[in-house]
Amino acid sequence: MDTPAPASSEAPLKILIADDNQTDRMILSAIVKKMGHTVCTAEDGAIAVEQFKAEQPDIILLDVMMPNMNGQEAAVIIKQLAGEDMVPIIFLTSLQDASDLAACLDSGGDDFLTKPYNKVILQAKINAFSRMRRMNSTLTKQRDVIRANNEHLMHEQEVAKAVYDNVAHSGCLDSPNLKYMLSPFSVFNGDVLLAARKPSGSMHLLLGDFTGHGLPAAIGAMPLAEIFYGMTAKGFNMADIIREINMKLKNVLPVGIFCCACMVNLSFRKQEIEVWMGGLPDYYLYRSKTGELENVASSHLPLGVLSSSAFDASTQKFKLDLGDKFYMWSDGIIEARSPEGDLYGEPRLQSVFKQNKDPEQLFDEIVHDVNQFVGESGKDDDTTLLEVTMIDEASLGKAAIDLSSGAVNGPTDWRMAYALRGETLKTFNPLPVMLNILHDVPTLRSKSGELYTLMAELFSNALEHGVLGLSSELKKGPDGFARYYGERAKAMAEMTDGQVEFVFDHRPTDKGGSLMIRVIDSGKGFDYKSNINNEFKSEGYSGRGIPLIRNICESIEYKGDGNIVEVVIKWQSDHS
Amino acid sequence: MSHLNLNEINELKDIMEDGFADLVEAFVADSEEKLAALHGAIAEGNATRIGELGHSLKGASSNICAAALADIYKKIEAAGRDENLDGVEDMLSQAETAFQEVKAELQAL
Repeated sequence: MDTPAPASSEAPLKILIADDNQTDRMILSAIVKKMGHTVCTAEDGAIAVEQFKAEQPDIILLDVMMPNMNGQEAAVIIKQLAGEDMVPIIFLTSLQDASDLAACLDSGGDDFLTKPYNKVILQAKINAFSRMRRMNSTLTKQRDVIRANNEHLMHEQEVAKAVYDNVAHSGCLDSPNLKYMLSPFSVFNGDVLLAARKPSGSMHLLLGDFTGHGLPAAIGAMPLAEIFYGMTAKGFNMADIIREINMKLKNVLPVGIFCCACMVNLSFRKQEIEVWMGGLPDYYLYRSKTGELENVASSHLPLGVLSSSAFDASTQKFKLDLGDKFYMWSDGIIEARSPEGDLYGEPRLQSVFKQNKDPEQLFDEIVHDVNQFVGESGKDDDTTLLEVTMIDEASLGKAAIDLSSGAVNGPTDWRMAYALRGETLKTFNPLPVMLNILHDVPTLRSKSGELYTLMAELFSNALEHGVLGLSSELKKGPDGFARYYGERAKAMAEMTDGQVEFVFDHRPTDKGGSLMIRVIDSGKGFDYKSNINNEFKSEGYSGRGIPLIRNICESIEYKGDGNIVEVVIKWQSDHS
Repeated sequence: MSHLNLNEINELKDIMEDGFADLVEAFVADSEEKLAALHGAIAEGNATRIGELGHSLKGASSNICAAALADIYKKIEAAGRDENLDGVEDMLSQAETAFQEVKAELQAL
């Protein structure tokens, strides 16, 4: 081996030596070559810049005082050319004055070496800068990889966000009786807020707060929203939906991730809210007439914790007057922190309610107070706030049931029979299934609410008055309803071989379609020919069913022994 | 008395190996050229040039381990930098004498 082994274990470097003095260049070259590095040289600053461009050296030894262009001027240009690459410059100088040495470093030098040269120190400096340079290049590479990964990740998140927003959309959150604030901590919100009208006209609301925040927290919102919107549109009741969501989340979420949630069924007709709450701080029911606050506490574990068999879907019900408000929030509100690190807490929230003069301003006052408290400290969790006001259903408008549409015309010429027997008749709610099939006819979809009401009425008539043989006379009087439901429970328990059959017959017409629904029950029937006038005209609770059906249907007709009822609904196409 | 520090010169020979003779040759040629230029600069009274040449010669002689010679050049550099040229001719003749002796010693090695 002719070439001397490098003095260190590192790969040989290319070193530029710029000095106007030939003996300096010769001695420095000899020292550097002995270390195993290669050398290029320059006689002044201008040549040093040219050599830097041509040779791309790793380290530069640069004399300060040189003709044409001095070392400091050359250093500035070279550092500019090097950009992000770290090219260490060691100034060669006989200067002793501290301020002269400092000026060398200020012009972009990394170190200096004073004349006369000490071989050992020069070697040590070259080795040190070689290490630093290698570290810098590793860091730069790693930074570039991280930057590329981050860009990739952000892009993925944006695409995912678009899908997420389509699934976990806000539904009918823009309804006039709702005010809400969603303030996510990052791109994805770990809080989820959903609202949808039921076919019956009621409104379902769901506020969920997943463990953590960001994408891992938000991902669970997708199946949740899918179930919430899908089942609500099909007319399922709240207990069925919350049970289904719990089962789904229990299956898909990893251990330790769950969803504190509150689901509400807001019934405008009954002026009532039904609440299921799990794992959330107390909510408030605000009585707008008296200004009183009632706490509504969670009575369940969060969603996604318990198995279906242990899950309890029982709810709390509250009567609301018009103008009464129900407030829901994620713990990001109560646990908001001030710049000093204090928690916002319930007492502050309650005092906002106490000081309120105009209930219509309450929502804004809460948002304002929390924001003022948090100040510039920046938040550390997703925060969500929802105000629900009980209003008259008429001022809310008709429920626009959103179901993904299929073929434009859909099936128009078909017949179907669906019978329920025995235990299934006692426990199973057939309405969502049947409504779902009717939804295949696009125009019927817009009548979803009416159809639901109609079928609910026909079904309960067939089951209660038909199969169970209960008389609606029972409902009369002050204790009527209680007595009626007592009888109903008793008859239901005794019933073994009852049957209710629905027959749907749909035919196309010139302008649209005609749907006939026939309901046949296994009961004894009734003397509709003589009773029919009384039945239809009667006022009050027990007679409500028939006028309602009349309103919706083209015709209603009893047949057989009165155990068969047939209604016809005609519709006109929007497209013709 | 020798003009050269022998310990240092041995170390330098160690570094330069076969290049030592070339180094001496370069030193001699560079010094002779710059001493001639220094004569001209002194005759013109060009203080800046005197300072530059003094600085360069000082560096070269210091490299070659000729400390006494480097000291004389250092005074010439200072005279030029301070624009005080009194006695600079004497310094030049001292430097030329010393340089001849250094050259002889180097070539004898």
